[in-house]
Amino acid sequence: MGIVNLVFGRIVDVILLPFRGASPWFGMAAVSLLTALLMLEVYKHTSNQAAIRRAKDRIKAHLLELRLFKDSMPVTLRAQAAILKANLSYLAANLKPLLVMIVPLVLILAQLSLWFDRATLGPGEETLVKIGLEEKADPISLPMELETSPGLAIVSPAVRIPDQHEVAWRLKAIAAGPGHLTLRIGGLALVKSVVVGGRPLTKVSPLASRGSLWKQVLYPGERALAAGTPVRSIEVLYPAKSLNIFGLRVHWLVAYLILSIAFGFAFKGVLKVEI
Amino acid sequence: MKKAGFVFAAGALLALASPLTAYIGPGAGFAFLSSFLVLFLTFLMALFSFLSWPFRFLWKALRGQRAYKKSPIHRLVVLGLDGMEPTLAERFMAEGKLPNLALLKKEGTYARLRTTTPAISPVAWSSFMTGSEPSKHNIFDFLSRDPRTYLPDLSSARIGKPKRTVALGKYLIPLSKPEIRGMRKSVPFWKILGEKGIFSTVLRVPITFPPEKFKGHLLSGMCAPDLKGSQGTFAFFTEDTDKVRKHEGGVAVLVAREGSIIRTEISGPENTMLKKPAEIRLPLAITVDKEAKGAWLEIQGQKKFFLKEKTFSPWTPIAFRPGLGMKIRAICKFYIVALEPKFEMYMTPLNIDPEKPALPISHPFIYSVYLSKLLGRFITLGEANDTWALNEGALDEKAFLELTYANHAEWEAMFWNALSKTPKGLVGVVFETTDSIQHMFFRYLDKAHPALKAAPARMSAAVIEELYKKMDDLVGRVVATLDARSVLFVMSDHGFKSFRRGVNLNSWLHQNGYLTLVEGKKESAGWFKDVDWDRTKAYGLGLGGIYLNLKGREARGIVAPGAESGALKAELVCKLTALRDGANGPAAVTNVYDRDAVYSGPYKENAPDLIIGYNEGYRASWDGVTGIVNAVVIDDNTKAWSGDHCIDPALVPGVLFSNLKIKTASPSIMDIAPTALELFGLTPPVHMDGRGLVDIAGLPGAKKGKPT
Repeated sequence: MGIVNLVFGRIVDVILLPFRGASPWFGMAAVSLLTALLMLEVYKHTSNQAAIRRAKDRIKAHLLELRLFKDSMPVTLRAQAAILKANLSYLAANLKPLLVMIVPLVLILAQLSLWFDRATLGPGEETLVKIGLEEKADPISLPMELETSPGLAIVSPAVRIPDQHEVAWRLKAIAAGPGHLTLRIGGLALVKSVVVGGRPLTKVSPLASRGSLWKQVLYPGERALAAGTPVRSIEVLYPAKSLNIFGLRVHWLVAYLILSIAFGFAFKGVLKVEI
Repeated sequence: MKKAGFVFAAGALLALASPLTAYIGPGAGFAFLSSFLVLFLTFLMALFSFLSWPFRFLWKALRGQRAYKKSPIHRLVVLGLDGMEPTLAERFMAEGKLPNLALLKKEGTYARLRTTTPAISPVAWSSFMTGSEPSKHNIFDFLSRDPRTYLPDLSSARIGKPKRTVALGKYLIPLSKPEIRGMRKSVPFWKILGEKGIFSTVLRVPITFPPEKFKGHLLSGMCAPDLKGSQGTFAFFTEDTDKVRKHEGGVAVLVAREGSIIRTEISGPENTMLKKPAEIRLPLAITVDKEAKGAWLEIQGQKKFFLKEKTFSPWTPIAFRPGLGMKIRAICKFYIVALEPKFEMYMTPLNIDPEKPALPISHPFIYSVYLSKLLGRFITLGEANDTWALNEGALDEKAFLELTYANHAEWEAMFWNALSKTPKGLVGVVFETTDSIQHMFFRYLDKAHPALKAAPARMSAAVIEELYKKMDDLVGRVVATLDARSVLFVMSDHGFKSFRRGVNLNSWLHQNGYLTLVEGKKESAGWFKDVDWDRTKAYGLGLGGIYLNLKGREARGIVAPGAESGALKAELVCKLTALRDGANGPAAVTNVYDRDAVYSGPYKENAPDLIIGYNEGYRASWDGVTGIVNAVVIDDNTKAWSGDHCIDPALVPGVLFSNLKIKTASPSIMDIAPTALELFGLTPPVHMDGRGLVDIAGLPGAKKGKPT
């Protein structure tokens, strides 16, 4: 999984490289456009285009039928039933491309979340660092120590929460720049990156985990934590990030969904894809 | 099982997906969104439909449109089989080959149906729909003429340019729609039915282009143009220089092969958006693959598909771009006649795409879109079956039949759709299959036909017998759908006879001193190119009309109206009825009809002054129809087009079958419209010349009281 994350991570890094100093909308638009084009091609080659066209034509025909035979209740009812049937065929025809596309899409979305989901810490800003432990580990008695790189400081003692198998510290960003935390536990050192300041579009990894494959897929920003300790994850609670348009705050996923669909719709004719 | 597992797995994956992963990309994501939109829209429309139904019902009741209150029947089905010949139907029925028609004859009605003067489809079907003789509906032939220029016009419709335009660089931007004007006058009976709330579906009845508004659905038939504005122009791509000549009804395109690739062009409509109009052309690349016995066709560098030799492609949509981002859409089929030794390929005329029509071909406009989406793209050209392609050798007989029956299947599908959706009202359809096949194969019924001497017979009379059997089978299937209150009329507009010899009226007029050529000319090219109008008294145009060169009417008329024109007509009638094919040969003309004697309607002035009733075996010659004058008056017809009906109407009645008994032994095609109105409890308007054929009071569902 590490290799896959590395490859996808590099691709997204390269795509967003020119847009790091600009408004995040530019990066979002570029990624949306490219994924729209990629997914259209994938959709084209993995779907039964003729079946989709047929199903769509039938839906349109029966919708027109509702208009043409509006005075005939039996025809109207039959047309409605036919629309539902054709719609099911349409959905069924979309299952295969859906299954094929969901894999790269999840990987891409996980990478995008590193760029758009969380904002970096500002100098002087405080936040929490949470260590998630295995259920059998006792956070009260477990000896552990958190160290920071220059530019970061721990400003509170560890708060141990047995019910949640969690230990938390308050972290303060002192100066802009990349930094890291080192958790020393049982003779091992676990490292987690921390970003302070930076450009409008900066990659932020909120969580390093030793968890399942699924966790590695969803949090691809850092290498998996080393085994041999009861630590499951180290999480820095970065502030949430959103995109602004005309004073409105838009979640990045919503923006991506709308833009990629809009680009997909705009280019489906050019790429001759029946959606 | 495999599919079920796949669906289950997909469902499970979707169910387990987190909000982040539920989004499945711009392709499928859009598909799912639109799918839910469709469901939502359907729900809304259903809700609206249910809620508004009582109000609509009440509104209709308040307006007095209790449509079927006085109607003895619920549904009338008119199944038109263009050109079905009574003598053939009678023979095949007697031989037990048409059991369904024979049953209608036995239990209902069979009669020979009197046709119009002249016996030409656009004229006869116009009389069918209006219940009137031709001078009341203004259609006298396929062609009419412009008396200012002596040139022909299409009789049924005029398609003009937009009235308002604005110049922009090399373009002329239209600010209004092009003028499309129907020339047929009077009112079709389905419009009268619609005014009383009776719904109609009318499919491919001739002379219904441009479609008129009424309560119902209509798809235009004969006379609907192709995208080039013609009545059908096929293209024939060939490497054979000997075959590149002027083709009637089509164009031959000489192509050359470089390696295995042929690069040529599809000739499209004229670009009227340009200040200097020019034809729009699309590049067509053909890559011949001898091993695969076919070729790859690539249109405009985009659409690429493989076509096997001697196989028709499906309808292929193509778009012409006149500029400014506009598209004019057409559909066509391709057929590779031969790969070797010389490549030859036929392309159908460019049909108006029913899914995105460049011109209105249906009422309402969305009806053709609906049919196309539901049943697939279909031929929209009025003269659908490409008889010229067979006549000119671009298609062989087998391919022609395949194409014709494919067209027929499309119309049948529409017809069945209309029958299933019209439980009450009128369903009218005209199949031109019968007409086209008889035109092209009639010589096989006539062993003495000159065309059989000119070219060896490849098929037999079985083609026509098979055609009649197929139509009988269709009738049987329609009868099976009828309930006790449904009425069926199976009818043809005229019959058919062998067309052995062609008569060039213009040559005859020239030889007899009525038509004069300019000094030094012994012949005239097409459309009277070399006619001296200042010394011409009469000219022939169309399939059987003679016009006098009348003073005050024709631009250079010399015959005075009144006594002089009357005397001239009498003289022509006398001489033409005496015209014989050789010294002791048969009469070529049996009757000449004076329009003043046969017509009385308001458009009589637009009719030819004389209408020629040719004898059986004769018809207007190919040259004569197009205004050519030469030394030959009567000659052999050696074309595949070997049967015809443009002769004396008395010789080519049509057929009428019904599941009802009729009250006359000699019905006329003009009687169908008033009969239809009476069957729905309506009184036919007084201008109709036809009379009701059915004893309405005797019908089981007849209600007492006066018709409305």
